[in-house]
Amino acid sequence: MAVIQRIEELKSGALSAVAAAGSTAALEDVRVRFLGRSAEITEIKKSIGSLSPEDRKEVGRAANLASREIEEALRARTNELAAGEREARLRTEAVDVTLPGVPFPKGHLHPSMRVIDDVVDFFVGLGYRVAEGPEVETDYYNFTALNIPPEHPARSEHDTFFLDEGLVLRTHTSPVQIRTMLAQEPPVYVVCPGRTYRRDSDPTHTPMFHQIEGLAVDRGLTLGHLKGTLAAMARHVFGEELKVRLRPGYFQFTEPSVEMDLSCFVCGGNDPNCTLCKGAGWLEMLGAGMVDPAVLEEVGYDPEEYTGFAFGMGPDRMAMVKYGIPDLRLFFEGDLRFLRQF
Amino acid sequence: MRVPLSWLREYVDFDLSADELVELISLRVQEVDGVSRLGIREGEVVVGEVREFGPHPNADRLFVARVDLGGREVQIVAGAPNPYPGAKVPVVLPGSVMADGTKLGKAKLRGLESYGMMMSERELGISSDHGGILLLDDSFEVGRPVADYFPVSETVLEIDVFPNRPDLWGMIGVSRELAAVLGTDHRIPETSPGSGGEPTGAYGLRVEAEDLCPRYDLRRVSGVAPGSRAPLWMRQRLYASGMRPINAVVDATNYVMLETGQPIHAFDAEKVREGIVVRRAREGERITLLDGSTRALDEEVLLIADEEKGLVIAGVMGAEDAEVGDETTDVLVEVATFDGTNIMQTSQRLGLRTDASGRFERGLDPNMVGYAMDRVTALIASVCGGLVAEDTLSHYPEPVRPWRVPLRVERAELLLGIPVDSEEAAARLTRLGLSIEKENGRLSTTVPTFRRDLRREADLIEEVGRLMGLEKVPEMLPEISQPGGLTPSQQRLRRLRHVLADVGFAEALTYPFGPDRWLEVLGAGEDSAVRVQNPLSAEGKYLRTSILPGLLDAVARNRSFGARGAGLFEVGNTFEPHPPPEGVRGAAIRFRIAGETDRPGPDAGPDEYSLMGVREIPRVGLVLAGTVRPAGWNTPSFRAGFFEAKGIVERLVPGARFEPSERPFLHPGRSAVVRVGEAEVGWVGELHPEVAGRFELDGWPVAAFELNLGACEPDPEPRFEPFVNVPAVNRDLAVVVSSQVPIGDMLDTIEGLGSPILAEIRIFDVYEGPQVPEGHKSVALSFTFQAQETLTDEGVDAEIGRIAARLGEEFGATVRS
Repeated sequence: MAVIQRIEELKSGALSAVAAAGSTAALEDVRVRFLGRSAEITEIKKSIGSLSPEDRKEVGRAANLASREIEEALRARTNELAAGEREARLRTEAVDVTLPGVPFPKGHLHPSMRVIDDVVDFFVGLGYRVAEGPEVETDYYNFTALNIPPEHPARSEHDTFFLDEGLVLRTHTSPVQIRTMLAQEPPVYVVCPGRTYRRDSDPTHTPMFHQIEGLAVDRGLTLGHLKGTLAAMARHVFGEELKVRLRPGYFQFTEPSVEMDLSCFVCGGNDPNCTLCKGAGWLEMLGAGMVDPAVLEEVGYDPEEYTGFAFGMGPDRMAMVKYGIPDLRLFFEGDLRFLRQF
Repeated sequence: MRVPLSWLREYVDFDLSADELVELISLRVQEVDGVSRLGIREGEVVVGEVREFGPHPNADRLFVARVDLGGREVQIVAGAPNPYPGAKVPVVLPGSVMADGTKLGKAKLRGLESYGMMMSERELGISSDHGGILLLDDSFEVGRPVADYFPVSETVLEIDVFPNRPDLWGMIGVSRELAAVLGTDHRIPETSPGSGGEPTGAYGLRVEAEDLCPRYDLRRVSGVAPGSRAPLWMRQRLYASGMRPINAVVDATNYVMLETGQPIHAFDAEKVREGIVVRRAREGERITLLDGSTRALDEEVLLIADEEKGLVIAGVMGAEDAEVGDETTDVLVEVATFDGTNIMQTSQRLGLRTDASGRFERGLDPNMVGYAMDRVTALIASVCGGLVAEDTLSHYPEPVRPWRVPLRVERAELLLGIPVDSEEAAARLTRLGLSIEKENGRLSTTVPTFRRDLRREADLIEEVGRLMGLEKVPEMLPEISQPGGLTPSQQRLRRLRHVLADVGFAEALTYPFGPDRWLEVLGAGEDSAVRVQNPLSAEGKYLRTSILPGLLDAVARNRSFGARGAGLFEVGNTFEPHPPPEGVRGAAIRFRIAGETDRPGPDAGPDEYSLMGVREIPRVGLVLAGTVRPAGWNTPSFRAGFFEAKGIVERLVPGARFEPSERPFLHPGRSAVVRVGEAEVGWVGELHPEVAGRFELDGWPVAAFELNLGACEPDPEPRFEPFVNVPAVNRDLAVVVSSQVPIGDMLDTIEGLGSPILAEIRIFDVYEGPQVPEGHKSVALSFTFQAQETLTDEGVDAEIGRIAARLGEEFGATVRS
């Protein structure tokens, strides 16, 4: 039948046109030309009603099949071309990926505070609490209650700033320990970080500096607990490989007193020219000891029932060692060239 | 304490290198601060006799000698002119290594070969004298090693002696300690009583100030050869120990001080009128000291005097009048102990710290006096000639006796955390000079008087622990039966610092001391700040009343180093005087000094607070200055300004309200107090340009705030609010109001309407200019409406109308079309 023949011709013509179209716009032209209102296939479909019932069925089917096939081809080709065009458009939108991104501000925490936070977190993890006390302290809490009565020679070594009569800027955070013990019964597990003051100024001494002291009072505490606790703290702050050693020390409010050295975490004791430990292999880091029975008595604890250990460290010096800072005075000048590095 | 090892070896045997000794002393006794070397490091020094000595033919300043080294004659070039034929000199042989590490070879100096070198006192390490070659006396035998007479190669340990161990300020104490560590014995020099000298009793001794002088002994050495110099071995040790040789008598007293730790004074007996009087100085009494200074004294000063005048400020320094000099032939030797506290106070008040005062301060053992006296008088007699008196004048009314301290081994084990064997503990303590008895399985110790630091069981346990070795202590962790953690306010503080760092600022820590200028700038009177009695300088006279000035100084510093801006914050205390109420000043002082409160018990808390006299207010301060962050290629710069600072306050203080404020240091039109509820919790504002100028910040915009920490809540506890899925409606409204109307008031008014559907208001434009009448501004608001069901346009319009009407009534606002 000629009509069916014609439909086939139209179909193959349309399919070739679809294949040949180079843009989505050209495809739209193809669609209008072959499937639009005035397209030939559309005309054929309209004229079906005038055909004989047998022809009607056959021609109708052929026309529908042909237009479906063309539509399918159009859709496929449209997708194909659209994808290509989108790709081309995206290429024109390229940016210089080496340009810096929008800067989100980055601030800085002070190196001493970083160390303090780190040490505090360690002790909090063990079950310690953080105790605080005033920076303006009484003569009694700063000295006498710590076994340093008036006239004691150790007082002259504290280079104290004096305020109104009987008031000083605390020379250490130890009074916080006394205040803590007076305020509660054992067991006591606290760390006391804070600012302290001594009348001194040179590359390794500033009139203000920080201390972190700690105190544990409980039944059965020994020097071994002190050593284990501080060794674990040092490893937390400076590295797992660290070794520690105790040496005899002297502090007014502990007996026995010890000092703790850490193995040099730069050279491990293997470099005689190490800039950190100067070849010694050890770094002096902490003072500590078993709480003097007189101190326990002063706060109303029974030294026969309870023992305890106390320790003190300088987070400023720890930061100097940890971050390689040569001069303590840099810490308190607010210089951004310094602060920005942390 | 400087410890020359050649001296130490005389008292105790040990087979350790210097490094091993340092390690051992550091781990068992006290820290060793350093090791120094004197003389030669390696090699040999022999006694030579100069045969010929003359100028070097090719050099003006050099000389050449022929020197007999005992059987062979060598040629040596010298730089000093003092040797002469027949003089005996120390010659260091080629191949030796000098103190500075240089190795001596056979050298040619200006064409002449030099076999080794003749040595000065400095090169030998016996004094700092480098003025010529050391000339040896006739007792030195040609060809023998000089080391047979005195050490030519010395190693000195600098031991850091703890203040409670004055016994370690003497070689005898150090050797006792080392022997105890090594588990061996030590020896001390033998002494002999005096004989044949003129009687000490020809002079008197009267101790008037008994409370300040527990013991005073006096003995005479007569017939001393005038002008003697100490022998080289003694001078070598004094020098190695850090002292300067003076004359034989004084050197001998210093030598015995280094040996025993006990300072000793020698008087020229001929200059002492009648006898020695130990008394308090009279008010206004004057004395001219050895250092040439004249001091006015008072009754707090202990004086050693004769019947006419003061001779020595006891334990500190002598006057020139009765010192031993080159003519002295008759010597009175004082060995005494004084009240340590009094000596410390005197030395502090006079600003005179001497070797002797440092020792007396710590409180010395009166029982060392007898030995030191025997030892020093015998030594003077042996090095200067002379005879020691048989009698000693002694004032020692209350002899100090050894005391007993019990020691429980199980207590030692508890404190040390290691097993302690009672036999070992006893043996260790015995080596330290304690005597031990066993009573019912317990140890009872008797402590010698030179160990005043050993008073209690814990003191003995420390000794046992360190001598056994602290490396034996195991690492353990306690079992803690309580939960740890930060308190809510500690957590808040931590978050606050992190928020400020996260939004781009740098945490600074500044000194809380400031000068007058700080108070002036803040417009505060002197009474508003806590005064430091002894500041390091006038720059630190007051404790800060605000964090601002310290941060401004820091910003100025940054500017001087080329920074274009800064954003610094600090968390810390400010301080305010809070004088105790009238009439309780005395109670306040008692509380501060003695820890006493008038009302002891649990309700004493608030009392203590008022007795302290100073209030500490924890605060956070922040300063923005200049260009805090410069513009990027696609971002604007961030410059300091009121709204930048305010924005941070809003981030930190939920519900903060801002009211215009006048503070002398802030821009009068760009500053506000910050309130939470009715309470004032801080301020925010731009710095007054005048103040910026005083901090060297001219021309920079500076904005700042300071807030009480308690008001900051950077991360409030969240609470879930139900929300609906109905779309929200946005609507804008622009109104024109007088420029004077605070926009915050407009927002408050709108909030006050209590609209059931108003979810959010945002100001998106504020405009003043030609488009609006003069004296007016246009304020553009964007509203978000939301309700349980979909809103109709009519409903929203009605609400906008209600808002506009209210703004009209309240502020005369007209809607801008």
